[in-house]
Amino acid sequence: MVRKRVGALEKVDADLPNLQYKIRRDPRSYTEEFLNQYGQYQSQRDIFMASPNTASSSGIISFSNLIDFVAHVSDCFPEDTAEFPEDLKTILTLHHAELESELREKIVGSLVLLRRKEIIDSSNLLNALFPILVATPSKTLRTLLFQKILSDLRTSNAKSINHRLNRTIQTALFNLLTSDRTSSKGIWAVKITRELWKRQIWTDAKAVEIMKEASLADNEKVIGGGVRFFLGGDKEREELEDESSDDEAIDVGKLKHQAGINKKNKKAKRTIEDAVKKVKRNEKKKNQPHPLNFSALHLLHDPQGFAEQLFSKHLHNGKSKLNLDQKLIVLQLVSRLVGLHKLTVITLYSYFIKYLTPRQPQVTSFLASLAQATHSLVPPDALEPLVQKIANEFVSEASASEVASAGLNAIREICVRQPLAMSDTLLQDLVMYRKSKDKGTMMAAKGLLSLYREVGADMLKKRDRGKTATMGIKSGSIKERRFGEEDAGGIEGLELLEQWKADERKRKRAERGLPELGTDEEDNEDDEAEEQAGWDNWDAESDASDDSGGWIAVDSDDEINISDSDDDQPSSKKVKLDTAAKQPETEEEKEKADAVLENKISKLATTKILTPADLAKLQELRLEASMNKAMGKNKTQAQRLKEIADRHADDALTADQIEGFSKLRKSTKEEMIALAREGKGERGEHKSTQALRRAKKDAEGKSTTNKEKARKKNFLMTLGKAKYKQKRSLTQTRRVLKGHIERSKRGGKRGNIGM
Amino acid sequence: MGSSARKKKEKKKDFQKPKLRVGKTKAKADNFTDTSFKSKSIVVNQQSLSTSAKSSSSQFAHYLSLASSSKSDTQRRDALAYLTTQLSSQPVNEPMPLPTAIILPKLLPLILDGTSSVRSQLLKFLRLLPPSDVGDRAEQSLLYTRAGMTHLAAEIRVDALSILEWLLEVAKDDVVTCPGGWMKTLKSFMTMMGWATSSGSTKWTSASKSSFGKFAFGKAGKAFPRQLLVLAQFLKAGLVEPEDSLPTSEGTATFPICQVGMHMIPTRSNAFAHLNLFGTSRDEDGEMYIDREDRQRVFHKNFRAAVEEGISTAQKEAGEAGRAAAVLSKVVRDGMADYTDIDD
Repeated sequence: MVRKRVGALEKVDADLPNLQYKIRRDPRSYTEEFLNQYGQYQSQRDIFMASPNTASSSGIISFSNLIDFVAHVSDCFPEDTAEFPEDLKTILTLHHAELESELREKIVGSLVLLRRKEIIDSSNLLNALFPILVATPSKTLRTLLFQKILSDLRTSNAKSINHRLNRTIQTALFNLLTSDRTSSKGIWAVKITRELWKRQIWTDAKAVEIMKEASLADNEKVIGGGVRFFLGGDKEREELEDESSDDEAIDVGKLKHQAGINKKNKKAKRTIEDAVKKVKRNEKKKNQPHPLNFSALHLLHDPQGFAEQLFSKHLHNGKSKLNLDQKLIVLQLVSRLVGLHKLTVITLYSYFIKYLTPRQPQVTSFLASLAQATHSLVPPDALEPLVQKIANEFVSEASASEVASAGLNAIREICVRQPLAMSDTLLQDLVMYRKSKDKGTMMAAKGLLSLYREVGADMLKKRDRGKTATMGIKSGSIKERRFGEEDAGGIEGLELLEQWKADERKRKRAERGLPELGTDEEDNEDDEAEEQAGWDNWDAESDASDDSGGWIAVDSDDEINISDSDDDQPSSKKVKLDTAAKQPETEEEKEKADAVLENKISKLATTKILTPADLAKLQELRLEASMNKAMGKNKTQAQRLKEIADRHADDALTADQIEGFSKLRKSTKEEMIALAREGKGERGEHKSTQALRRAKKDAEGKSTTNKEKARKKNFLMTLGKAKYKQKRSLTQTRRVLKGHIERSKRGGKRGNIGM
Repeated sequence: MGSSARKKKEKKKDFQKPKLRVGKTKAKADNFTDTSFKSKSIVVNQQSLSTSAKSSSSQFAHYLSLASSSKSDTQRRDALAYLTTQLSSQPVNEPMPLPTAIILPKLLPLILDGTSSVRSQLLKFLRLLPPSDVGDRAEQSLLYTRAGMTHLAAEIRVDALSILEWLLEVAKDDVVTCPGGWMKTLKSFMTMMGWATSSGSTKWTSASKSSFGKFAFGKAGKAFPRQLLVLAQFLKAGLVEPEDSLPTSEGTATFPICQVGMHMIPTRSNAFAHLNLFGTSRDEDGEMYIDREDRQRVFHKNFRAAVEEGISTAQKEAGEAGRAAAVLSKVVRDGMADYTDIDD
């Protein structure tokens, strides 16, 4: 019999990590050892369940170690450990409050590990963890659970969206919010939803629905969370996306260059391969169609009902317990909804009246909300008293300049959205403030003036109208707009396409040596040919892209020819095109023609099917036009009006914009110092600017200039030259000076020969 | 350079002799450290301020807590030794300083204690406890005993067997009838002796019992025959009908009333525990098996094949293990003699 050292064997017995390693390598041979450990785990569990608070973790191996061990090898013995996950879940759900924190974390970690080994599924895990997250009094456990839940949701949505899991979790969150509206537990639903929204894992209407319920809760925290989500959630999402796309830039060329220089080994090779792979992946991702991410506000079902409920529950309700700040954000959300979706909540406007005094705290926010809640379908009767009140309370000679400018800005913002809210006497009165000494007031009043030159010049006094407006009124191109009047919509840039087509045709004719204006028949022929080309092109493309078998055999050209051949139609369009194409010589006439072009809705789209080639060209023209606009070429009134309106449709109006140039609150000393310091860099000690610049250059590893070298040169070395200088003869001096001139011409001693 | 007068003075200062004056305190040295401190209260750790000596019961409680929660193993052992002498030197009819209901839960975790002297001392102490009190706490005791039987360390396993022996001595019926007492304990035996089979495994025979089972060396090497013997005791307690279970003159003594004992108030506590009216529902393992027939059925269904196979291999070994196996096989034969296989 061989003597063995028992002590060593004992040690091996107690060595769980070692056993774990062995089991993972060869599960079947170590079945017995595993069963022993599992039996030990079961008895420890029984002891624990009998008295959870008194069970101590003393002894050679603790309960948590056993749990860890079993969790790690449970995938090798699925039948034996079938009840293990359930055990952990029951321990956690029943005793999470009194468990030792270490053991608790170990159990949570083991459950997540089991999930990763796919012994339990995600919904199983989340259904176990989520109730504890909501119920536990321990902060550390809450953070841990929150993090685990989020990471699990992210991983299970990483490859493809796991709709079923998302749906169950969303339902659980929704139920959490709706089951008890007064409790603060809903905050977890808000937190989880917001985080997942930020990371673009949940982008559907259901997530928005959860937040909608949160905003309509009774608990202040939950309300705040929900409302803030609608006000800032999308911006957060965009920022995160920008961030993540920024840091991915890899310079492959640089890496390759480095690999050429540095030591060549496997690791360097692999680095390059990885980088190339990543760049390719990024490129592929870039070429993918952009996922349509609607903002939360656009995904709302029934925004009207939501806005009304928010308003009546939190703002118009006397029993609402919200403080001013919370009320303000709710008001912001309501007004944003009203402005964005053009809702009608008439009581909202009368609600504003009592807050519109300069003494009201945060009045600028109220003003901003009011302006935001205004849109073209608000009855002017509802707004007129508000504008009047703002004018009376804020804008007067006696009031402070900041107050006056804030009032004027607010009025302008309201009137941008609903110009009819202004009466002409009031307008003329307000416009007079453009002569004010204060810059803020003056700018605000000028803004109002320029606005009304566009939207209602006839309300201004004659001398205030300006040249274009006066001429417009005279010619009749500027008309008074009525309440509810909408511009007839069309395809953006269609008139550009029409124009371009006419030009093209003319050019072709010129190439063929024909007179510029051809007959209709010829035009038609051209058209047909052109169209044919457009469709052919498209067919080729589609054939290449889809391989749907026998479908290709169908000759689609015939059908299309039947549907859009112009022969059986009277070519009324052509006549018009011709008039447009006749190119009047004089500048005046051309302008008039442009106006006509602009006013009438182009018939191109209604009489003809646009070919894919046409659509591509349309896109191109649109882009060009927008570039021109950005370059500041002159615009028509309609364009400018549209721009003004568009600017306000999607972005929120903030109190800062109302405050304008003169902030109501002067900046504090610290702010001013910070402002002055901005961009100056770190200044540790007092040094001259020169020295600082030098230090910066040194840090960057740049060389000194000749001047600096000369300044630093040892005094004794310069002495001989200085002494000699005194004794030079005139010729010597001349030679030196000449040499200097020549050197400077040549560009230094050696000169710039190579250049 | 230090040419200035001020610097010269500073240099000189280091070597000047401090002047001592009569009636004045000596100047403090340069490297003097102030070690004085102020405190609002003084805490004396070890000292008792009471003038009278501690009562023996409080002394007992103190040592009990020492034994159960002290960090040092010698202290635990000494405390246990004290408790043992205290209990053994007591007059026979005097009540115990503390009831068993308090003592037992505190000391049971020591079954899993890492030090062997503590465990042996614990066994000595436990033997002094009144047997009638132990029966009610058999379930709790078995929890720790089972944990000991499946423990990693071989010595703890061996000592846990002694505890089980003691339990079988003092409360035979309670051990086999308490919830989980039959099924779970048998399972622990199976894993301990290496007779257990994985529920999911195929026909994979494993010969590696190098560390846990019968081929262990040293102190644990003698464990296998002992395990067999204790298992035999356990099975005997559960399966074999005690000879005096039926009172000889039951029907005749009190003729008109038969089976009086059945209708009297039960003598044991929690007589309807097997109905499990208030606890959580139990599974097959944790069920109470009150009847002998039940136990036979469970044994037959789950363990008999494994046990008989184990016995046959052990008998082939002969020697001590073979003799113990013979005892075990006799117990199994006796216990299962009147068992008729019911198809369930």
